[in-house]
Amino acid sequence: MKKIKFITCLIIAVFMASVFIQSCASSKEAIANKSGAQLWGENCIRCHNTPSPADFNDAQWKTVGLHMQVRANLTKDEAEKIVVFLQSAN
Amino acid sequence: MKIKIISVFFFMIAFGASFAQDTIQTQLDVITSEIQSLKKEDKTHFMLRGFAQFGLDATHDNINFNMTSFNPVLLWRQGDRFLFESELEMEFINNELDIHLGFANASYVVSKGLIVRVGKFLIPFGTFGEKFHPSWVNKFSTTPLGVGHDGIAPSADIGIEIRGGLQLGKSKLNYSIYGVNGPGIKDGTDEPEEAGMLSFENSTDNNNNKAVGSRIGFLPFANSSLEIGASGYYAMPGSEESPFEGDTLNEDLNYKEVSALLTAFDLSYVKIISPLKSIIDIKGQYSLSTVSKATYFNPEDTMRYSFTNNSSAYYAQLAFRPALADNAFLKNIELVGRYSAYTTPEGSLWESKQSQIAVGLNYWFTWRTVLKASYQITTIEKEGAPGEHSGHGGTTGNVFSLYFAVGL
Repeated sequence: MKKIKFITCLIIAVFMASVFIQSCASSKEAIANKSGAQLWGENCIRCHNTPSPADFNDAQWKTVGLHMQVRANLTKDEAEKIVVFLQSAN
Repeated sequence: MKIKIISVFFFMIAFGASFAQDTIQTQLDVITSEIQSLKKEDKTHFMLRGFAQFGLDATHDNINFNMTSFNPVLLWRQGDRFLFESELEMEFINNELDIHLGFANASYVVSKGLIVRVGKFLIPFGTFGEKFHPSWVNKFSTTPLGVGHDGIAPSADIGIEIRGGLQLGKSKLNYSIYGVNGPGIKDGTDEPEEAGMLSFENSTDNNNNKAVGSRIGFLPFANSSLEIGASGYYAMPGSEESPFEGDTLNEDLNYKEVSALLTAFDLSYVKIISPLKSIIDIKGQYSLSTVSKATYFNPEDTMRYSFTNNSSAYYAQLAFRPALADNAFLKNIELVGRYSAYTTPEGSLWESKQSQIAVGLNYWFTWRTVLKASYQITTIEKEGAPGEHSGHGGTTGNVFSLYFAVGL
């Protein structure tokens, strides 16, 4: 039982350390300069597979983008950049 | 004579060229007009989307084809800030088409991090009900125990909400605060075996109290891979009048002072593991419902009784998909495992204790089309009210399922 507790604590500690290291790794500027393609890869996958840009036309992507801004609580900048990327790649 | 012929020939060429130019100009005008028209249409746009799921369940004594869901979703955008969305939930149950309004609401983007929403909307209590319930998003054909319709928490309600997402340095924060009609409490007059249970399927409020709730989500990593959320929901579910009015023996029983406090914690971690050429997806949610103590009447033995009205449900899910593999078949395979448990109040007539293990193998044809094969083992330590709080149709025991789900 003690071993299980120790291993659990160790896993949590390693996880928290990786959280801390990773959060220190990126600068504010790098986040502001993220491309629409990068945001598309990072955010859509949180709930579902990344969508194919070819599946919708420009007007449809704009509607889907607003829908996802509301549903997934994307920031306005994220939603706009992702939509521009999908419109440029479809 | 020759000069005449040459003159006529040149005249015809000049006339032809001029005519052709007019035709091209006319065609250009039509195309320009169509582009302008499309640009105008872009201001307001209507879309029909949704999802569907069908397949079969096999137990040791029965194999049954199921059409579990067909949910058309309507989206209507007006400009850049206004969105109307609605979902119809269609199910085929006992040879009859059952249609519900899943949600119908209007959202307006007020500013960068503020959206106002009114109407019937999915309640952001935890994450499963709001984000992961569509059949092409849910990695199993069933929902975890205690989650979704007939779960211990609300799935949708009518009211007003403010919500949004904000960048906080390298991290992100999202929030939702809402007021809705809220639940009722089953007093046992119609269904004695469900006395004390919260009822979330109400189109009208049974009192003047509104339920209020909130969810805060925090994404500490710059790459948005981890989200940790906390939800709270408070309601006064009882009616003003006693449900036993006119019954001299029980008219002192009243539920207007009963309160309900619901809390939930959720976690989502999705990360591309480059060395394994894979995506790992971890999801989890813990929900707790605490309803204040009250006295109920059991018409079967004409006795009064009371119990500590606490329910809880949780699930943990792990998915692994070698999506970056070079092999075209392997990259579409996904392995999934889920454990969920659900406990209802001890001493109530709907007392129940269940747990469930599910393992699955999914094949993704496209990003929104999937074939889901799973084996689900449900263990019932104590039986609850029949048909309540389980996956589709109250299925229990060991079940093999094969379902096809598509996002439309």
